[in-house]
Amino acid sequence: MSRYFYYFVLINMVANIIASVPSILLRHYNEGSVSAMVLATITGTLIITVYAKFFIQFPGMTLPDLLKKTTAKWFYVPLILIMTVVWFIAGMITLITFTFLLIRYLTPEMPIILISLSIILSVILGCLIKTDRVLYTVEIIMLITFPLIIYIFFKASTDANINWNFIKEATLFINQMPNLESFTSSFYLFLGVGNLFIFNRFFNIKQKFGWKQIISIFFITILTLFTTYFIPIGFHGTSEIESLVYPWLQTSDSLRMKYSLIERVLFVFLLFYLCIAFLSILIHWHVAVEYLKYLFTFEKIKVKDVNIGILIPPAIFTVISTYFVQALNESQLFRFSSIFYMILAGFFPCMILVFFYIKRRMKYAENTK
Amino acid sequence: MNTQETLLWINEQFSHTNELVQKTLEYEQKNIAYMYIKSLIDNEMLQKTIIKPFFEMANMEQFKLYVQALPQFEEVPAKEQVLLEIMNGSILLEIGNELCLIDLKLSKNDEVSSASVEMTIHGSQIALSDNLLTNLNLIRSYYRQPTLNIEYMSLGEVNQQKVAIVYDTEKVNTQALKLIKEKLQRVDKQVISAANQFNNYLNDKRFSLFPQMIMTEPPDRIIYNIAGGKVVILQDGSSQCLAAPVVFFDFMNTMEDDYHTVIISTFLRLLRYLGFFISLLLPSIYVGVTSYAPEVFRTELALTVAGSRMGVPFSSFVEVLFMLFFMELLLEASIRLPKAVSATATTVGGLILGTAVTEASLASNIMVIIVSAVAISTFVIPVNEMAFAIRIVRLLLIVITSIFGLAGLTLGFLVFILYLTSLDSYGEPYLRVYNYKKNKERSEGHL
Repeated sequence: MSRYFYYFVLINMVANIIASVPSILLRHYNEGSVSAMVLATITGTLIITVYAKFFIQFPGMTLPDLLKKTTAKWFYVPLILIMTVVWFIAGMITLITFTFLLIRYLTPEMPIILISLSIILSVILGCLIKTDRVLYTVEIIMLITFPLIIYIFFKASTDANINWNFIKEATLFINQMPNLESFTSSFYLFLGVGNLFIFNRFFNIKQKFGWKQIISIFFITILTLFTTYFIPIGFHGTSEIESLVYPWLQTSDSLRMKYSLIERVLFVFLLFYLCIAFLSILIHWHVAVEYLKYLFTFEKIKVKDVNIGILIPPAIFTVISTYFVQALNESQLFRFSSIFYMILAGFFPCMILVFFYIKRRMKYAENTK
Repeated sequence: MNTQETLLWINEQFSHTNELVQKTLEYEQKNIAYMYIKSLIDNEMLQKTIIKPFFEMANMEQFKLYVQALPQFEEVPAKEQVLLEIMNGSILLEIGNELCLIDLKLSKNDEVSSASVEMTIHGSQIALSDNLLTNLNLIRSYYRQPTLNIEYMSLGEVNQQKVAIVYDTEKVNTQALKLIKEKLQRVDKQVISAANQFNNYLNDKRFSLFPQMIMTEPPDRIIYNIAGGKVVILQDGSSQCLAAPVVFFDFMNTMEDDYHTVIISTFLRLLRYLGFFISLLLPSIYVGVTSYAPEVFRTELALTVAGSRMGVPFSSFVEVLFMLFFMELLLEASIRLPKAVSATATTVGGLILGTAVTEASLASNIMVIIVSAVAISTFVIPVNEMAFAIRIVRLLLIVITSIFGLAGLTLGFLVFILYLTSLDSYGEPYLRVYNYKKNKERSEGHL
């Protein structure tokens, strides 16, 4: 598989470290989070494999393309609409989470609308550019930020304050039955592959997806998921861990770079994670806008020859998300995202049925040719 | 159209000037007539190639053959073309009721100059001259390939400037070549004075910040670009040429990177990118940290910065803009000043202003250090146009940071990258990470 494939799979995993996934997992640390994570890794790798294998059969075709070719209008219009909403909400959750983070840790005096607007406005440009350019941006920003984020993970796991006994203790809960909420939220980390629905347009050369890719994905996910879960436990212990709101932020604030210009790792972590969150929102909203482009022809709406139609979806996105930024508080957001993860855990496996149908129809179409 | 009519028409065209010289020579049943513009012709050559042989040759037949054998000989095309050729420095010769053109242009600007914009230590020390033919000669003699192709055009309604498009037919990026040719044909300007103007004329956008073509002068860089599949545009009377399509990384490279040993050039490249980031981000980081989040820096540093700002009556935003403004003025002034005065300007600007401003506590000491660090690191960017663009982006980032704080700075930087990747240079993405080892991937592309 092209290296670009790993980017959006990886972004979704890494971006959710700061979102509510770790705190949901930690809340159920003694109720089957560990076993849920193990289960999620297996099913997640499976779903990535199935999705990738499906899309490499149709190089250069997006899911809406395929749906339009093979299914009836009454089926694909609502489905694409639902997918738009799903992708929009996925982006919005990251957006709101990060807005909350910024107001908690970096700029407490700033109005919350201003913070969210600053993120939204910067992302909107990305919703409008071409799909390949989104991937180039992702690659460059990943190249800049990733070394530092890996350094922080490395520093966290080798820090003197980390207590491995806590981690050993937490692993003992593996004998608990997997818990639904933990499972769905850790399963969500794997759903970055869903962006292939649109980004498959970019892979118009036949790709390979064999054991090598599957194994590398498997190990990457294990590494990210278990760092996400166990390092905060190593720092904070298991008692009262469920009351941490942003486990990773508190963990990074326990780290200190003694001789560096910036002493508290928290700020480096926050600003570099802002890049990752930006990419995550960018990818999700870009995909959402692209879905809408299949349903409506925005180019037709013009004012004095200036094409303003294309600005309509980002404008709607802006209005809705600025409303929710103000309306939600942190605990509501967590409940909301937890429900969202549960729905997705049902939605994505169901898409496989659609894939089967599409595959059969495409085969049929080829045969009749 | 017959000879006499053409001659009459040309005479008519030049009726307002007294520069046109017309002469008829008659000697021993031989006669020729010629016309030329006095100021364009090399008199010595005229005497040597036309007048002297005319008197020495036995008959008309022989002289005609002789003229046809001259390397400068040219058949007569349409009359408009004849007019243009006369203005380019040819003489129009009439032999036995037939016309021909002989190029006897006197050029005083055909000397290859030494590099003045792109200074190098190891690279080529010569640069292009102002003469198109000399430049083409330079390129051809350094790039020995039969596939090297040169196409001519004349652009500019009033001054009819000769423009040459140079490329290697086998290696050229055909899509870009097509686009550039199309756009060149669409150029509708009265006067074209330098090749650099095409950077704007071939750009469809009304407002553009980043150059879509790279301006260059040393021949080693030009042939490197041609071999890399780029199209080079040269213009008569311009000692700079343009190469397109470009990517962002072209602006961060110098030819010397290939002339040093690997480790040295890697180090220099690293230095350059570091300078790039410093010149882009340092002032904004200062604003963001001092005004929004002083706790980001370690305590000692935060205290030093705060202590240095003691007594400064402005907010950090005004302070930065104030100092940057004077730095930009100094830069702009030192370009246009005569050499004798420029030393004074730097002394007054740099030394006196720098110390006085801190003593008057209009800016902090640290601010002065930052501004000079920024100035130095801007000069590290090898291609001037990119440095200019970066200066503007820097200002934008300062404004964004003063509104949105450090998070705004990060987002602003991300948007900057997003903007660069969304740009096109003649069909090529402006900024992307290439895998140079996989040339196949590059040439086929993903889209």
